[in-house]
Amino acid sequence: MTTPNKQLRRKILEVISRGGSPHIASAFSMVEILNAVFRTMALEKIKDGARDRDRFVMSKGHGAGALYVIMHAYGLMGDDDLASFHANGSLLAGHASHFVKYIEHSTGALGHGLSPALGMAIGLRALKSEARGFVLVGDGELHEGSNWEAIMLAGHLGMENLYVLVDSNGYDQMGPLGSSCGIEPLRAKFESFNFATAEVDGHSEQEIMGVIQKSENKKPTAVICRTVKGKGVSFMESNVVWHYRTPAGEEYEKALAELND
Amino acid sequence: MRAILFHKIYESMRRNPNLFFLTAGVGFNLIEPMCKEFPDRTMNVGIAEQNLVGVAAGLSNLGFKAICYSYTNFLAERAFEQIRNDICLHRYAPIFIGTTAGFDNAGLGATHHALDDIGALKTLPHLKIYSPSSSESIGLIFDEALASDMASFIRFTKNDFSEGHPVSDANRFVIERHAKILIISHGKMVANSVRASEFSSGFDLFAMDRIKPLDAGKLKDLFAGYRAIVVVEDNFKSGLYNSLAQWMAENDVKNTRLHSISVEETYRGEIGTAAYLEDLNGLNPKQIADFIGLINKDLSSYDEI
Repeated sequence: MTTPNKQLRRKILEVISRGGSPHIASAFSMVEILNAVFRTMALEKIKDGARDRDRFVMSKGHGAGALYVIMHAYGLMGDDDLASFHANGSLLAGHASHFVKYIEHSTGALGHGLSPALGMAIGLRALKSEARGFVLVGDGELHEGSNWEAIMLAGHLGMENLYVLVDSNGYDQMGPLGSSCGIEPLRAKFESFNFATAEVDGHSEQEIMGVIQKSENKKPTAVICRTVKGKGVSFMESNVVWHYRTPAGEEYEKALAELND
Repeated sequence: MRAILFHKIYESMRRNPNLFFLTAGVGFNLIEPMCKEFPDRTMNVGIAEQNLVGVAAGLSNLGFKAICYSYTNFLAERAFEQIRNDICLHRYAPIFIGTTAGFDNAGLGATHHALDDIGALKTLPHLKIYSPSSSESIGLIFDEALASDMASFIRFTKNDFSEGHPVSDANRFVIERHAKILIISHGKMVANSVRASEFSSGFDLFAMDRIKPLDAGKLKDLFAGYRAIVVVEDNFKSGLYNSLAQWMAENDVKNTRLHSISVEETYRGEIGTAAYLEDLNGLNPKQIADFIGLINKDLSSYDEI
């Protein structure tokens, strides 16, 4: 039984507002992607800390608010820990942190998730395990050259156990990507690096799961998830201000009302 | 040194199925036998140092130990943030091996001189730094790094200096004749300092091939035995000299003076052989001996301070 995405967004709104953290719009754009990945991974092995468990790396570390809420929904985090998000003395930083149990890799500096996820996939292959490596990157993050070093090698090695999910909301923290350094055509780019590539509605879990629940022979998989930054709250959608701002007071109530509809 | 190191790596790969060897497009005619024997654990990731280190982090997450091989400066500096965030922050324990340290690639120009690597790397917690000085110490250092639960960075040169006998510690006396001046050195400059003995017998020589962590417990006794200490290194002053100066300040050491023979802190356009660039920086054996001579003359004035 999975938690409805509106309910997850309400929880994200609650923890981010209470913690006084930025990045709510980024967190809202990735809810369905995270839900699809966590529904796909073998969680029991993750809970057991098995060496051959599935790995998830959130390269887009600033979506930590969403990640922690999803982990809580899947029983990987307790109420008290989640309530401490972004507070003094908490391990739940504003970026994904491996000091938090079950988080595989600390991120925040962009372009630091894909290579470790590739290393994990290489290690899993050496163990002859069927477990997989999943990594979520932002589309703006793909400006970082380190990503393309990893993408090139993953394609060359035919890492069929590696899944790169792109939260393609079309924005970085300055505005639309096309106005700084455009990254399209993204699909053609991944395909040219020997990735099996799909473009899906990033707010449809079913579409995402339809891609990541299968593997391509001798190819890593890229899922370009077309999303809306700030999805679910009308005044946050595609509004770059909400990359920085924490909803409070009237704004909080207004956002909550929309998510209660 | 390189042949000994690769023999060690090869033997370790045979014994330990948990070891991976990764290179960023370096090691022509050295890695081919490993690729053949351990195809699943030997990988050339291409000329991509950031990815090299990130992949090593991912392997470490699964409990593998990765040996990462590239040029010293590209590994330390191109991939600096990966070493910081993906390795040191996570307290993973791969072994970074950087070739052609110091002026090994002298003629190739300033982009290929590794002079600032120690100063940069030593700012990072949870990372050991080694600069092996002899055929005997490089094997010992590799074994130490292999057994360590902390990441290690080994920067080495093409230098083939042999001490002629096994060594029991990375930090050790190479010449001990109870002089009043001690040279502390590492890497290739230990060989240059040994050759300085042809011109002067006024110094002892201590190889400090383990640069970080400092042997803080042993330094007090070491410093107490000498009126002057000269750090000789093919690096900027931000290297070992800076670490020892900080240690002296923190430990209120007053009766020993610290001097430096190091590389001038600039990036030169002028190139030449390694020996030529060492000459320009006062690092050749005769220059080292002359410097010792000057300090020897000056020792009597120390008492007046």
